[in-house]
Parts: sequence; structure tokens; C-alpha cells
Amino acid sequence: MSYSAVAAARRRRFPIIAPTLAVLLGLLVSGCGINRIPTYEEQAKAKWSEVENQYQRRTDLIPNLVETVKGYAKQEREVLEAVTEARSRATSIQVTPDLIDNPDAFKKFQDAQAQLTGALSRLLAVSERYPDLKSNQNFLALQAQLEGTENRIAVARRDYIEAVRLYNTELKTYPGIFWAKLLYANNKPMAEFTVADDVKRTPQVKF
Amino acid sequence: MRGLIRSAIIGLAAALVFAGAAPVRAQDFPQLTGRVVDEAGILPGNVRADLDAKLAALEARNGDQLVVVTLRSLRGETIEQYGVALGRAWQIGQKDKNNGALLIVAPNERKVRIEVGYGLEGTLTDAASKLIIEGTILPRFRAHDIAGGITRGVDDIVRVLSGGSEDLQRRAPAVSPSPIDRVAAALGIPVALAYLLLAVVAVAVCALVGWLFVTLFVRRLVATGALPKRQGGYRRSNRQDPYQSANWTGLSTLPGASGSIGGFGGFGGFSGGGGSFGGGGASGSW
Repeated sequence: MSYSAVAAARRRRFPIIAPTLAVLLGLLVSGCGINRIPTYEEQAKAKWSEVENQYQRRTDLIPNLVETVKGYAKQEREVLEAVTEARSRATSIQVTPDLIDNPDAFKKFQDAQAQLTGALSRLLAVSERYPDLKSNQNFLALQAQLEGTENRIAVARRDYIEAVRLYNTELKTYPGIFWAKLLYANNKPMAEFTVADDVKRTPQVKF
Repeated sequence: MRGLIRSAIIGLAAALVFAGAAPVRAQDFPQLTGRVVDEAGILPGNVRADLDAKLAALEARNGDQLVVVTLRSLRGETIEQYGVALGRAWQIGQKDKNNGALLIVAPNERKVRIEVGYGLEGTLTDAASKLIIEGTILPRFRAHDIAGGITRGVDDIVRVLSGGSEDLQRRAPAVSPSPIDRVAAALGIPVALAYLLLAVVAVAVCALVGWLFVTLFVRRLVATGALPKRQGGYRRSNRQDPYQSANWTGLSTLPGASGSIGGFGGFGGFSGGGGSFGGGGASGSW
């Protein structure tokens, strides 16, 4: 091949290859997941704060509910005390942002909330036996709010589990694992709710 | 290099494992054919038309999207689980307001639920939803008047949603707007325009990097004599054009660049506007 033919071939190839390479490089850095780990982390944290939010809302509803039930069903002292006790135990746990990175604290929090769930559903089951209480408007409203909150907790937990699954998967799979080793060495997998807690959510009530 | 390849292989294997382990989600939703979706086939035509008019009037008045759906079956889930999933799948309510609600009736399971989007939780509260279900809907359902229960229930929901302006102001803001939403809100421009801007900036940056690369690299090659100098300007017109057209076609296929602000589904149809749900509302059974 003559010199001019080689040069012409080079000329043809160059202006196409170079920008293509540049664009591909840009896509590699921005498109191939360099941002995905922090993004998923933030999403999971946001979902977690929603879980906390809904648990807090439930905690706030309880004193009112206990007072209302007390007015009609004083003799159910045991059940009422169990709720109050479970509530104070749940609120005694310091909810810090790093709770989700700390499996032990997370389990403690989860256990306390599960216990409160059990005590509350016992209280609501017992309330069924008092017709006056059941027709009390205040009680009906509280009951509806509590049911709604329990449902929101369930939804928030499902969303959190899904977000954590995405985040933890990203930390362990390619290309995330590459970025994790390179840039986010301090990112740990987040704690997930165990299935056992979901089972505990519906305690058997027998009379 | 070897470590990188190894981690790549491990990552790939893990990706395969995780892809297999991904939980199977309920994807079995009826089609959103209008404001009234009568999958169970329990509503007479005139009732459907009547409901549709009421729901359209509500949306025209304050933008709230309310959809009535009757289900053939709950697909083995609780009505609470199915309701949230359905609301999210249909994206009822506007994206920035999450102001959607569903009245779900599952006659075969004898369950009813009012599913409330994030943005309406302050207006159509759990307690209000419960009252509507227990006081208005269920007594009629128990008397085998399904159409009447649904119609009166919708009337009540519409009344609550059309409450005074202070009710409207109490509504909670959207829970977690995406970064692009926030940028759009900060700049005071529509979200679609923000997406377009982002796409333009991304293309511009890529083009700039490519141009710099070409200019510097080629200039160096030319300077060192590895590449002969350009002659004439014909190449410019030859080479630029395919690039520009490539950029433009590339742009139009970017997500969001098509500018779907959405919500009201032009052409007489109906579609969700991107609203989301968090489990608010109340359920009942008869």
C-alpha cells in the first residue's frame, strides 16, 4: 500500500473513532453504575425513615387508645399494662441513623416493635367484647387510624426490604462490586427485616 | 488485572444468582380502561356511566383522581396488599401531588377497601375512609345492593375530597420527589423540560469531550507529522452532518425527552398521572 493510501485510511478512521471512544468513556463512567451505590443507599435510607415514621405514628396513637379503652374496660388491666409496657420499651430504644448498619441494634428495635404489635392486637381483640366501647366514635376513629398505620408499616417495610435488596445486590454484583471496592469501601450491606418478625405480627388470640 | 477479571466473573455469577432469586411480584392487574373498571362485571351500564361522570367532574374540579374498580379475584393476596400494588401500577393521581384514590370492591372475597394516595391521606383520612365503608357502603352491600353501595360510597368520598380550601391546604406534600423533580421545582420549570435540559447537557458534555479529544489528539499527531494536514473544508460538511442527525435522533429516544407531563390522557382516554400510594385508607368486609 502506498503512503497516501495509508494516510487516507487513517484520516477516514480517526475522526469517527476518537469521539466514539470519548462518548463511550463518558457513558462508562456515568452510565455503568458509578452513581448507583450512593443512589440506592439514599433510597434505602429514605425508605427506612418512612418505616421509622410509621412506627413513630403508631407510638403516638397508643396513649390515646389506652385511655379510651380504660374508660370502658378497666378490668382488662393486664392487656392494657402489656401495651403500655411494650410501648415504653419500644420508645426506650434510641433510633439513630446508623441503626440499619448495626444488625444487633436493628434486631433489638425490630423485636421491641414486634412485641408492641402483639400487645396492640391483643388489646383490639379484647375490645371486641365491649359493645359500648365498640360504638364509641373516638374509639372507632382510633381503631381506624391504628389499622391504617399498621398497614402503612407493612407497606413501608416491604418498600424498605426491596430497596435494601437492590442496594445489597448492587454491592455484591458486577459492576457494583467493582465500584464498591474502588470507591465505596466503607459501604456495608444493610440490615433486613427477618421473616420471623412478619410471622410474629399476627399473634393467635384465644378465648 | 487478574483480580479485576476474577471479581468480574464472581460478580457476573452473583448477578445470575440474584436474577434468579428476585422475588416474583404480583403483576396480574386488570387493564385501566377508564375511571370505572368493572372486572367483576357487577355494575350495570347506566351506573358505570353515572359514576364515570362524577369521577371526571371531581378531577376537573380539583385534580384528584378517584378510580372505582371491582375485582374478579384478589389473586391470593390481602386487599391491602393488592390495593397498594394496584394503585402504584396504575399510578393514579398526579405525580407531584400523589392525589389519587381507589375504591376497590372484591365481591368474591366480600372485601372492600378505600386505598388513599400519599397526597390525600390528610384529607381522606383512615378514620373518614372507615366511616364511609362502615356507615355507607357495607350496609348496602349486606342488603345485596352492590351498585347502590358503590354509588353512595363514591358520593361520600367525593364530598370529603371536595371539602373546604383549608382541607386542601392541609394535604401533605409528595413524599420523596426525585432529584430531577426538585431541580425542576427550584428552577420553576416543568419536569419534562428539566429532563430535556439534562439530556442536552449530557450530549453537550459528551460532544465537548469528544471535540477536545479530537482537536488535541489530532493536532498533536499533525504536529508530529503522523497525520497529514487537512485540506479544504469539504470534510466538515461531510462529517458533521451524520453526527448532528445522530445526536438529534438519539435525543428523541431519551426517556423523558418526549415530554409526557401526563395525568389526564388526551384523546378522551384515561390514565394515571404517576401518583404513588403508601397504604393509607381503610378496609371492610361483608
